[in-house]
Amino acid sequence: MVDAEYDAVVVGAGGDGPVAAWKLAEAGLSVLLLEAGPFHGNEKWPDPHGDPGAEASSDVDDLSGELLDEQFTTREFEMVNRLIFGPADENRGIWARKFPGDGAILQCAGVGGTTLHYTGCHPRAYPAAIDEQGHWPIDYADLLPYYREVEELCDVQPAPVTAKEELFFRGAAAAGWEFIDGMNVTSPGYRPQPNAIRRPDRSLHVDGDYDGEFTYPDVTGHTLGLGEIAGNPHPRGAPFEEKAKRASNVSFVPAAMRTGNVTVRPNAFAVDVTTETPLGDTPTATGVTFRDTWSGSTTTVEAEVVVLAAGAIETPRLWLNADLPDEEWVGRGLTLHFGDNVMGLWDADDLEATLGKPTVDQHEGQNIAARFDYPGLGMLQTVGTTPGVGAILGFGASASGFAFQHDTEDAPWDTMGRLAGPDLKRLLSDYRRMLPVLVVSDDRPLKRNGVTVQDGAEDEHGPIPLVNYTPSEADRKRRDELAEIAAEILREAGASHVHRSDSPPTALHLHSTMRMGKVVDEACEAYAVDRLFVADHSALANGVGGPNPTNTGQALAARTGEKIVERYF
Amino acid sequence: MTRGGIIRRVRTILAATASWLRTVGRRVLGRTRGDSSSGDLHTRVTFRACVDAVIPTTPELADELGPEHVPGGNDVGVAEFLARYVGDRVQIGIPHTRHDVDVVKPIANVLDAAALKLISRGDNEDEPNEERPVAFFEGADVPADRIRDVAGPFARLSPRDRLRAIHVLDEIEAQFTLPDGRFVEFDGGLVGQLVVGFPKLIYYSEWDGYPDPESMPFGQDHPNDPASVQGWRQTGFPGFTNGYACLRGYLGTEDGTLGSEDAWTTIDDRDGSSVSLFESPGRFRENDYDTDGYVEPYPEGGV
Repeated sequence: MVDAEYDAVVVGAGGDGPVAAWKLAEAGLSVLLLEAGPFHGNEKWPDPHGDPGAEASSDVDDLSGELLDEQFTTREFEMVNRLIFGPADENRGIWARKFPGDGAILQCAGVGGTTLHYTGCHPRAYPAAIDEQGHWPIDYADLLPYYREVEELCDVQPAPVTAKEELFFRGAAAAGWEFIDGMNVTSPGYRPQPNAIRRPDRSLHVDGDYDGEFTYPDVTGHTLGLGEIAGNPHPRGAPFEEKAKRASNVSFVPAAMRTGNVTVRPNAFAVDVTTETPLGDTPTATGVTFRDTWSGSTTTVEAEVVVLAAGAIETPRLWLNADLPDEEWVGRGLTLHFGDNVMGLWDADDLEATLGKPTVDQHEGQNIAARFDYPGLGMLQTVGTTPGVGAILGFGASASGFAFQHDTEDAPWDTMGRLAGPDLKRLLSDYRRMLPVLVVSDDRPLKRNGVTVQDGAEDEHGPIPLVNYTPSEADRKRRDELAEIAAEILREAGASHVHRSDSPPTALHLHSTMRMGKVVDEACEAYAVDRLFVADHSALANGVGGPNPTNTGQALAARTGEKIVERYF
Repeated sequence: MTRGGIIRRVRTILAATASWLRTVGRRVLGRTRGDSSSGDLHTRVTFRACVDAVIPTTPELADELGPEHVPGGNDVGVAEFLARYVGDRVQIGIPHTRHDVDVVKPIANVLDAAALKLISRGDNEDEPNEERPVAFFEGADVPADRIRDVAGPFARLSPRDRLRAIHVLDEIEAQFTLPDGRFVEFDGGLVGQLVVGFPKLIYYSEWDGYPDPESMPFGQDHPNDPASVQGWRQTGFPGFTNGYACLRGYLGTEDGTLGSEDAWTTIDDRDGSSVSLFESPGRFRENDYDTDGYVEPYPEGGV
């Protein structure tokens, strides 16, 4: 049951909102955590995509690993459609956002948000991105205690190595790059992913002759059969909080609910932030109005503070659609780690010599478990995918047309562009001898890039987000250099064919549309609205240098939670 | 281009345009006579033309890769599912809340417009041919003359020219306000994503294995048999699993904090400090950091 007023309302139960909710609740405050999508693995919603279910949940005992097993099937097409940003009702389409070109925004709706399909990667920002690039009003050192707190709660640890990671590491070493063993990265090199995924059972070693079940309690931790992008219910049979991937629904949501001070209200799309302006100057946030996505009814709750954590697209959209002051940088400065896909293909004999078997088998292991860091440029990471997601990510889109339209004679890759026709079928017939590498560049916040709204382009929640993004010339150079490094690593690992997608801008990581120092102050409170805070990736002042942003977004949200308590309670 | 070449090109454009206008005319007339299936068949032909270009039937791969690599997307009904999928779940330009905006037919028409644009530029490498669309329906119960009647210029292009036409769309972006006040942004690149990217996701995913592949997968059982999905047969994907015993170890060094217990294999033995795979992960080092020497590889220019 949702009350009429709370100490704090947090808008968005994605990667970061539950962290802020947890901090506030730990301090004894009453918190309402709103989420636009459904609540999976909760006994209050046994059929979360077919039936509206209950109104809210505030008891950690409502969480059910058994239900999560049932609802997260790991079938890629089904789960992509289940989790993508849209209403819980499976009979309705996805929520519209305008994105340029043939790129796409890949975000999820549901408690856990986009961490439902993130790959658990939890590196820290590059220190230089915080301390040297001139965007941040706080220091990297300010984030360190919060990084440690988040990493402990999420069980962040070095990712396991399977064949695909071994191949990448051998290539990186042969290309002359250094091995990195630190958390705070200041120079280029390769290392295992710091993943918020519990380590696999040691009985799963290739030399172990394991012939048991891959279910709990026979094994604990990750079971090395991918699954992260599809939600990851592994190990099946495990209690809710024993699932290997520490997405925020498994890590911070139970921690927040366990305080007894948090009510989670799914299927609630925030459409307005209410304010008062008693002194006639700076408005003060007083509450939130949300719309039930099943019934269409709206509810307004009052709060001492309002925390926006709806993500880098929906947080500025909500601001722009609410009657809040016009602010120059609201929605502006979007960074999305302008990326690319480079992949290698191997001959069976070469793999046999390197790995002792004729296949890479990208479907084995964790989705993303090996990385290459380059402060100033960004990062590379290996990506094991199931074939459907791999086909659309790797070959489905290109900024430069189809592969047959390019002469690559002098390029570091053999083919570039979208693949189609016999070429596509031929390449994908080598799925098990293929290793994709994701290029993730350190793009910089530019005012022209971001989120706007316009009357007339509306859905049931008001004007939709119109997202625009054009990388700068320097962004392109960073990405191109990383793509060349990726190609070299794959060649050194023995790849006989290298393909580059030349991907269009696609939004996997989204940040910096409500930037600290521009829209919010050093405590992440809005300059223009008192008692209105931002606790999601939109408050990041830049793209944190290129590393996966979840750890930094959560660390900052934890810090913001503490700052809220210090300021107002 | 020679004078003869120019004349041939002009003839091609005129023939394609006239053919398309005839097609549109037939569809309009058909609709006024209450025969709505003509318009639907045009959409179906056009979507089949996309799928044929992206994931074709490939007899030529039989000897090279094996007979299981011959069937393509149209052999398992990807085009028809794609049209339903896009129609039900995707909103283009005009956000809609009541599912009353048909986006599938406009996509088919936009593809025809792109084909005409390609031809008018002289960028098609093969002559359009009205027999091509007939081949998309081999084995299907659709009369060839009906297909010839409704097929637009896009479906008549060769496979690579169809892809070139899709690429033409990447250049198109438009914004306008409808008379009722709705704001529309159209980005042609999205059409490419829908008719090139989505078929790949559908075809190579588990979709083909559902008992009722014409419906969304929600609530359906799936055999999860690698032989049950055409895309899996062609990629070697073994189906979804609860796990694999494929752990090789954890990256680290003898003298560092990453990697502990026994080494399994050596990754790099340069400089005397060998990087190996160890039995246990160890932990990342909470290292001191100094960013004073940071050099911006590609500074932003005046932003």
